[in-house]
Amino acid sequence: MPASNAIMIDREGAATRPRFPLRRSLGSLVRSSEAGLKASHFRRPWLAGGLVAPQLLILLFFFFIPTWKALSLAFVQVDPFGGTMIFVGLDNFTTLFSSPEYRDSAILTLWFTVVQCIATLVVAGLLAFATDNVMRGRAIYKGVILLPYAIAPAISGVLWAFLFNPTVGPLAQMLHELGFAWDPNRRPFDALLLVSVAAIWKHVCYDYIFLVAAFLAVPPSVMEAAAIDGARPVRRFLTVTLPMAAPTIFFLIVMNFVYGLFETFGIIDTVTRGGPAGSTNTLVYKVYQDGFRQLDLGSSAAQSVILMAIAVLFTFLQFRAVERKVNYQV
Amino acid sequence: MASTYVKSITGLFAAGALLMGATGAHAADRVKIEWWYAISGKLGDTVQQLISDFNKSQDKYEVVGTFKGNYEETMAAMVAAYRVNQQPAILQSAERGFMTMLNSGAVIPVDQLMAKQGYKTDWNDFIKPVAGFYIVNGKPAALPFNSSTPILWYNADAFRAAGFDAPSDTWQGLEKQLYALKEKKVTDCSMALPGDFQWSLIENYSAINNYPFATKANGYAGLDTEFTYNKTGVVGQVARLKKWVDDGVLKIAGQGVAPISLFTSGTCATIINSTASHSGVEADAKFKWSAAVMPHEEGADVRNGTIGGASLWAVKGKSEEVQAGVAAFFNFVAQPDTQEWWSKATGYVPVTNTAYRKMKAEGYFKDHPTREIAIEQLSRGEPTDNSRGFRFGNHNQSTAILIEEIQAVWTGKKTPQEALDNSVKRGNEILRQYEKLHAGK
Repeated sequence: MPASNAIMIDREGAATRPRFPLRRSLGSLVRSSEAGLKASHFRRPWLAGGLVAPQLLILLFFFFIPTWKALSLAFVQVDPFGGTMIFVGLDNFTTLFSSPEYRDSAILTLWFTVVQCIATLVVAGLLAFATDNVMRGRAIYKGVILLPYAIAPAISGVLWAFLFNPTVGPLAQMLHELGFAWDPNRRPFDALLLVSVAAIWKHVCYDYIFLVAAFLAVPPSVMEAAAIDGARPVRRFLTVTLPMAAPTIFFLIVMNFVYGLFETFGIIDTVTRGGPAGSTNTLVYKVYQDGFRQLDLGSSAAQSVILMAIAVLFTFLQFRAVERKVNYQV
Repeated sequence: MASTYVKSITGLFAAGALLMGATGAHAADRVKIEWWYAISGKLGDTVQQLISDFNKSQDKYEVVGTFKGNYEETMAAMVAAYRVNQQPAILQSAERGFMTMLNSGAVIPVDQLMAKQGYKTDWNDFIKPVAGFYIVNGKPAALPFNSSTPILWYNADAFRAAGFDAPSDTWQGLEKQLYALKEKKVTDCSMALPGDFQWSLIENYSAINNYPFATKANGYAGLDTEFTYNKTGVVGQVARLKKWVDDGVLKIAGQGVAPISLFTSGTCATIINSTASHSGVEADAKFKWSAAVMPHEEGADVRNGTIGGASLWAVKGKSEEVQAGVAAFFNFVAQPDTQEWWSKATGYVPVTNTAYRKMKAEGYFKDHPTREIAIEQLSRGEPTDNSRGFRFGNHNQSTAILIEEIQAVWTGKKTPQEALDNSVKRGNEILRQYEKLHAGK
């Protein structure tokens, strides 16, 4: 029963905690009850309030207030300047769900996020595996791979757009010479491919750092034992390293999803602006387009509420999956 | 050596303190007037020049101009700022945002402002197509500032090489020329698609050929207007453009490249772009270039084109002395001398008749014939309900939809008719939404 195991570890961990000086100094203010950590409470409520206040303030300004704003706008039609406002109930939502453009955007987002997530992990995994086997110039190798992460999304987006611009881009000219009818302005698939590659290229480094660390953390004794049993490097990687790196991989899947869903905005804005004909218009980009460019605040707010629901659901599912499948014991 | 170093450093500090003291005192007696504008590059430099000229011309007010991104970004910044009472005193807003600004409740009509501050502005002096757009119920809502219209720019060297003196004045004739340019291998790109093609190749096309774009005189006669461009020559126009795109005659610049730079670099032989490209083309094009009025359909009842560009709005919620400063600045901008200078420096049309006549009398248009094309195109024929202009609520939204649907034609996902039908359907929903929200305005 892995679940009970986890709790056991937790309790053991908790039992050792009083070693930390901070906790000891707080000890006088905290009445510890017989039931242990869980039932302990502060004698003076203002202290507890004061200690959690910074976190609560952050939550208030960056989560609760924006959420309340989005919710309050999602059920109205409003003039951008706020002069006129009509309550429309669920109209903003029904309009979205009956709009083929919104449906297309949702399907596209799913496709884009899944492909991006898998491709990033696979590429980063290959590079991290190779790192283990690179002997000379390992620092340079790592440096080159980490480089894209240091470039701002907007800058890298502009570069990708320019390099693959069908009229003036040098790499596009190369593709044309090789016989590909490359044109992201007219071929939705090309546009999607370009955005995906740009997004993956940008995020591979992130996954790579984590995977290199995870692969390094595999105890050499286990690897040596496998080697003595006759397992070759690829076999060792698949049957020993990968399972042992599972927690990191699950974590990266979550992060890749978050990245694909919410953080590819800058790249899309500079590479395709959601075009052609909405073929790279992901849900997040659509919120921006409708809200900030076209000033349709009601619909934009409704879209953010939907996105928020997706994010909450998704986080919940991920944590459930991570709790179940990942063994933190090494 | 060390001591001279120290000396020069202290000297620098002293000079800095003096300077700061001077400008500080200077700025303190002046009323600051914030202006958010949306044009950049060479045009943006000219805006800064205009501001500094105004600031030098008097010592009561100091206009501080800030570039806030393109027209949409500037508008979004304005909306966000207005909601928290941080708005500028003056906003430059594009013709497409006219209804949004007009019905925003956030602006002071410009004639009210000028009358209250004791300025006499001759609103009848504004040239007809400009006045026709910005005057509502006999009164101007905003000060026309940078007004433009799309014209046909062409590479004269390329045209001569293909055996043509000038572009044809009909779309049918131009099509033959563009194909000839490509077939004779004069260029690989006969025409570049402008970024704002919906304004030039659709809306202006519709006005020039006297096709109705929407009911109710294109929105002039009421908020209950409905788009009708899916039943006019616009369908044929989109089909023509699609054919050109497919045949590689018309190239889409796409992201990462400004369409006009495809023309100025000599890559593409023609482009239909704003007359405000003059300052850029004059500086960058290293070949013999010229321009012409936009073509029309064979046998069409040719009318005027419509204006683009932007106007200046006086924003509510500012103190009396700031308002006085706004009026002083507007008065400065509306002077014939300023108008003339602005038009010459940028390529925008002079918006008053006085400025236009002055430039003509000087012989400016003899030396710069392409500068007069926009005015000529704006004043062709008597304006009709179809050519006066467009007044649609949330025009930015219906424009984005139109662009998206036409892109679906480029990709081959939809036929021109399907795309325009859908664009009209979605656009009308936007219009109804606006009508509902602004009923009775």
